[in-house]
Amino acid sequence: MTLWDLKQGTSATVESFCTALQSEYRTRLSELGFHPGEQIACVLSPSLGAPKLYRVNNTVYSLDDSVASLITVA
Amino acid sequence: MTSKTILIGSPNSGKSLLFNRLTGLNQKVANFPGITVNIKSGKSIVDPEQVLMDFPGVYSLHAISGEEKISVEAFYAGLKDPEVSSVVCVVDTTRLEKGLIFALQVLNACAEHNKPVVIAANMIDVLNNHGMTMDLEGLAAALKVPVVAISAKSGLGLGDLQALMASHRDSPSAYASALGSNDTAKGNIIASDDSIVHRQAQQLAASFGPKGDLLINSQTRLDQFFLHSWFGGISFILIMFLLFQSIFTWAAPIMDGVESILQFAANVVVPLLPAGAVSDFVSDALFGGIGAFLVFVPQIFILTLVVGMLEDSGYLARAAVICHKPLRIFGLTGKSFIPMLSSVACAIPGIYAARTVDSPRKRWLTYLAIPLMPCSARLPVYSLLIAAFIPATGVFGGLVGWQGFAMVSIYLFGILCGLLVTALVSRSSAVLQTDLPFVLEMPPYRLPSWKPLLRNAWDRSKHFVTKAGKVIFMVTVVIWVLGYFPNQGADLGESWLGYMGKVIEPAFAPFGLDWKYGVAILTSFLAREVFVGTLGTLFGIEGGEENMISLVEHIQNSGLPIGAGFALLVFFSIALQCVSTLAVLRRETGSWRLPTQLFVSYSIFAYSAAWLTFVIVQSIAG
Repeated sequence: MTLWDLKQGTSATVESFCTALQSEYRTRLSELGFHPGEQIACVLSPSLGAPKLYRVNNTVYSLDDSVASLITVA
Repeated sequence: MTSKTILIGSPNSGKSLLFNRLTGLNQKVANFPGITVNIKSGKSIVDPEQVLMDFPGVYSLHAISGEEKISVEAFYAGLKDPEVSSVVCVVDTTRLEKGLIFALQVLNACAEHNKPVVIAANMIDVLNNHGMTMDLEGLAAALKVPVVAISAKSGLGLGDLQALMASHRDSPSAYASALGSNDTAKGNIIASDDSIVHRQAQQLAASFGPKGDLLINSQTRLDQFFLHSWFGGISFILIMFLLFQSIFTWAAPIMDGVESILQFAANVVVPLLPAGAVSDFVSDALFGGIGAFLVFVPQIFILTLVVGMLEDSGYLARAAVICHKPLRIFGLTGKSFIPMLSSVACAIPGIYAARTVDSPRKRWLTYLAIPLMPCSARLPVYSLLIAAFIPATGVFGGLVGWQGFAMVSIYLFGILCGLLVTALVSRSSAVLQTDLPFVLEMPPYRLPSWKPLLRNAWDRSKHFVTKAGKVIFMVTVVIWVLGYFPNQGADLGESWLGYMGKVIEPAFAPFGLDWKYGVAILTSFLAREVFVGTLGTLFGIEGGEENMISLVEHIQNSGLPIGAGFALLVFFSIALQCVSTLAVLRRETGSWRLPTQLFVSYSIFAYSAAWLTFVIVQSIAG
């Protein structure tokens, strides 16, 4: 399952990044808190495919499908 | 002896507010060529010998965008500067782990350059308000650097922070000897490996950070409202409506005031000058030419203020989320929304607002769309042409007027052109620049701080006048000289400008325009609204913009075919006739390449579309 598949109000733990995601973006996402082992909650999933809001370490980020679908969660 | 202190921190850590607190807003802006990176500097209000340098907020010292790279390079250059006596790293205590990842990177870099660091643990007041605490001494002992609890908003702890900065300046050797005596700061606690840094930050936050969940539930509730499928859309439209009101309605009395002041000054100054070329120059070029441009400054001030207010409140990040998906169809990003929105008032603040688009490719595409947004300088031209060619009648008993319909249509036409251009270019151009994925931090909602917002709006307006004004002044002088000589303004048609108009007349003949319109178009390349004034002069009417109705009648009586009127509307909605836009684009991109490309391509596009419009409308009109 990817982060993009996470339903609103649910949480999951980051497992890995897809290889399609460039290493510099993986580093950046890790620095923002999206690193393997971290629990992420989907706080809002707007309709019509708009970017979703994810909460990590007391911070909320908006990620679109092009990024969130490259983060594997469990 | 003067010494410098670097202020660094993540975006939204409250760093800029701290800078403004410490310097009393006495800042100057230094620009690095090529890319937009501003490092503000200002003297400390309590210690004028202490200069603070506010570096742009970055998430990491591992830069991924071109702008971040410049910022990080500037930070490393600052560390090598012997005048830099200390570094203050601002950390948001409500999001400690994220802040500590960056702080550990900064500590590592500073240890390598023997620069003392102070951790400013900001937003301590928020912790206090929630009855939470954090172990500042424990964190300081673990990091081997001072940690000072502050609130940039309330001013709490700023005295302690300033005392520490002063002590680093007065005894720089103390830190170096401390480093020599124990190597903790040089790699013991601070590892350079990313995964270890992350684990350390996690452990430090768990050991010394506030316990409990701090994210205010009201933020989630507000997000659920502002990003709701229905309420989110309605509130978005309402907020945009208010923004437009501020640009067009609230700014109008101030613009009128500026115009009146300029007219009053002209009436006082011009009679004092000896009649002749000098008097005419001051009257036409200075008060007429430069004055027309100064009238738009209040609009820029109000727009910057309102957009800054929306940004400070945290709403703009939500607006970017709402617009991201629709704009992606056209090759843009949600972050392009605000620059494009600002450009509906004036392209200049729109170009500045494009700084917030962190992806270089998307920012470049945003620059392509900006000149096609229906800016307010096009309004007088649209009003004149619509009044001349569209009947003042309507449908549904006059409820929907044709003229209003035409105005909305031409506005939408410009926006559509902008989006089509970005859609086409994004699909056809090779991806040469690094693109960044859409990851946007949602800042907490808060009440805007008025003082910095007013200051920012003032600085932006001043910058507009001083930078773009120089270019406008030079072009105004050239246009005036061409229009005034060789017959000292007696007959514009016989001036050099008039001759040039007759030379270019064949170019505009394909869409039914004579030399007068050619001259008006030529002068409108200074600024679009000059078109109306020039036509007014050409028709022998003083102050064409003030006597719109009589000018309308003159145009109607001039035998201009209806197809030519529509062609002019289309031409003005596409052509990039704005020297200040070109000058600011040059400044922001660091070269004349993009402004030149846009000027040439949009001129060709405007000309072709105008010709096509003329042919179609004339064939329909018979």
